[in-house]
Amino acid sequence: MSFYAYKDIIEAGDLVLAFISRGATKPITVTPGEVLNTRYGQFEHDLMIGMKYGSQMAGKKGYGFIHLLHPTPELWTLSLPHRTQIVYTPDSSYIVQRLGVGPGSRIIEAGTGSASFTHSFARSVGDKGKVFTYEFHEVRYNEAKRELEEHGLMKNTVITHRNVCDDGFEIDNHKVDGDVVFLDLPSPWTAIPHLNKVIAEDRQVGICCFSPCIEQVEKTVKALEDDGWTSIEMVEVAGKRWEARKDMVKHVDDVVKRLKDIQDRKSQGIEKLRNVNSTAPSEVSSTESTPEPPSKKQKRDRGFNPFGKGTRIKEGDDQYEWRDVTKVESEIKSHTSYLTFAYKNPNRKV
Amino acid sequence: MNTKNRTVITANQHVLIRLPSEGTKIVELRPSGVVSLGKFGSFLVDGVLGYPFGQSFEIVEGQDVKPILSLQHSSDPKDVSEEPEGDLNKEELTKMFSENNQNIIDIGSKIQKLTNDDIEELKKSGATSSIGQHIIDQMIAGHEGFDKKTLFSQQKYLRRKQQKFLRRFTVEYLGSSQMLQYYIDKDLPRVIDLSEESLGLLMTYGNVRPGGNYLLIDETGGVVLYAMLERMGGEGQVVLVHENEHVNIIALRHAGYSEEYINRMVKTIDYLQFLEPENEKINWEDKSEEELAEMKSSKREQYEKRRERATAINSVIETVQNGNFDALISVSTLHQPTLLPRILDTVGGSRPIVIYNQYKELLLETQHVLTKDKRVLAPSIFETRVRPYQTIPGRMHPLMTMRGGGGYILWGTKVIPQEGITAVGRGISKRKREESPATDATDS
Repeated sequence: MSFYAYKDIIEAGDLVLAFISRGATKPITVTPGEVLNTRYGQFEHDLMIGMKYGSQMAGKKGYGFIHLLHPTPELWTLSLPHRTQIVYTPDSSYIVQRLGVGPGSRIIEAGTGSASFTHSFARSVGDKGKVFTYEFHEVRYNEAKRELEEHGLMKNTVITHRNVCDDGFEIDNHKVDGDVVFLDLPSPWTAIPHLNKVIAEDRQVGICCFSPCIEQVEKTVKALEDDGWTSIEMVEVAGKRWEARKDMVKHVDDVVKRLKDIQDRKSQGIEKLRNVNSTAPSEVSSTESTPEPPSKKQKRDRGFNPFGKGTRIKEGDDQYEWRDVTKVESEIKSHTSYLTFAYKNPNRKV
Repeated sequence: MNTKNRTVITANQHVLIRLPSEGTKIVELRPSGVVSLGKFGSFLVDGVLGYPFGQSFEIVEGQDVKPILSLQHSSDPKDVSEEPEGDLNKEELTKMFSENNQNIIDIGSKIQKLTNDDIEELKKSGATSSIGQHIIDQMIAGHEGFDKKTLFSQQKYLRRKQQKFLRRFTVEYLGSSQMLQYYIDKDLPRVIDLSEESLGLLMTYGNVRPGGNYLLIDETGGVVLYAMLERMGGEGQVVLVHENEHVNIIALRHAGYSEEYINRMVKTIDYLQFLEPENEKINWEDKSEEELAEMKSSKREQYEKRRERATAINSVIETVQNGNFDALISVSTLHQPTLLPRILDTVGGSRPIVIYNQYKELLLETQHVLTKDKRVLAPSIFETRVRPYQTIPGRMHPLMTMRGGGGYILWGTKVIPQEGITAVGRGISKRKREESPATDATDS
């Protein structure tokens, strides 16, 4: 298990993300003797050892299943224990792309929060880069530190317990030399003046301040301008998830036909008859002249019933006509935060 | 080895030039060369070398340049402490202003006394930024309604005129975002409507990082490939599948990678070789030393070339047959529902499948196919859109227009289904269901 590279076979001690259902992924450390209990059954860790990452695994009783996934920063983001509001993938992926984060980048991140973005940064900067992350809340700091250690990310990540707004970013024994700054703080404008001591002097430095309120953006923009940052631009990222669905095609001709069918049956007194004699539907259908209903499994004869009214129909049932459609997730993240980008240049030959 | 410089403006590299008009240009910086920026003048390459990327310049006399803080700031960066506002002559030019637009009467361009001929005449008097500034000063001096504008409106007017007349530019590192933006401006269909935010999401969902072994379908001429190489930092490998006889990675000609670097990082294979590897493998037997000794030098050269080609093709076919790719990333106009089922098994377990399309409808069809297929877990379609704001304190609002489109991304995880597993709630007797009242687990 590693956030830096994939492996193929699950071993004892690995972090595995047990995908139970959409919206329910449970991180587990594979430990001999232990059992994962879910609403879909029990899953023995011993049996996981030796399986391939990505395998579907059956429950102990032979039914129900989960999938055993290899951790990635993105899947981790979907399963991690929330300590704070987290930076979601549409935001984080855009920040990484726009600020050109890649192998060798030196990141300054404050605060660490749930360390979700820290994982993503650490993955991207590789062994040539470095991530300096700061968290002022002691409990959160300790949890994040333990997590980063367990996930083997300390190779390129340094976490510091610090209120950067008061005490700045300098670290003993490290030249921070940051070229990408990400500030997810209540008052980034108080931290910005401290950056001058730790950002690179021989190349351009990019910054992104992540704030939910427009008033915070105002103050941030002023602080950035005062400190010589340029090309300041604020944007918002709107991410949406869509699902493929099927919608039944209902032709109006069929509606008319069905209404006529009901009328006919009424006039023939069939409806009444059927209610009395509901145990013998075959006799009824033999007396009518309307076309066969498309659904054969119906327990009760509903006459001509092209849309399966009154029965439970599985979306996509072969007996009906469907059109492919998309449906947006029922609750979308209409606002995460404002992203204020800016750059600082040395403005001299280097 | 790749020697391009990512941080300092260096000779013989392609760079992105950003103009005050928000236009972009890709130019190669030849030592002692001159770069022409059209109506924004021209400059000597040597003048910009040695500054870090991201530096803005202003053209002064004789195609020389001086560094400036940004395209919106004229001040010498060293004076920044003395001129904190920095904005072009904001103080002098905008002394008189209105509280509102009550007194503005729209009479079009007549409000401004300077004629086009006057402007052309002024332009001829020199190609430096100070001439541009002079034109703007003259326009404002001859503008009947300028003092009736509000302060913000005056600043907007200034900004617009600066974009037109000032001879300024920024030299940026030509990263994947810059290259994509260049193509978005110049040739949007070339990048199949891909936006920067969608490109970022592709790279992140694809888990692209140093050392990975990726399968890529890229019909953007190599822009997506370039983004991947950027994230990989010279470690790992991309197998690029293409539908024509030869691969099109024209965008890489600006990338500054050596041929050797590209050959090491990128292996190309066409669909025929990919889908029918056994037929397409080249049966190759090395000739013996004696046979080689008998060959004429031209024949020998031919032999070596054929040998090299055969080795390369067989090696990439073998790579595909071994499979276990760390991701499939597809940015293609090919009908994915017919393609994906045939190539999914080359991707390793628990690795991402990331499919871009400019049309949601095509991903919808793809998602239905994948959901039935069971080899891709929880496929979903994602849309991401960045909304830019006018970023002026006191005047923050989203811009009135922005780029539409940007495409959609289907993301799922390659998994290994097991035969005969029954979901809870399916095919279990009613009695058993009553014992464990769980719901259907197959919605993934």
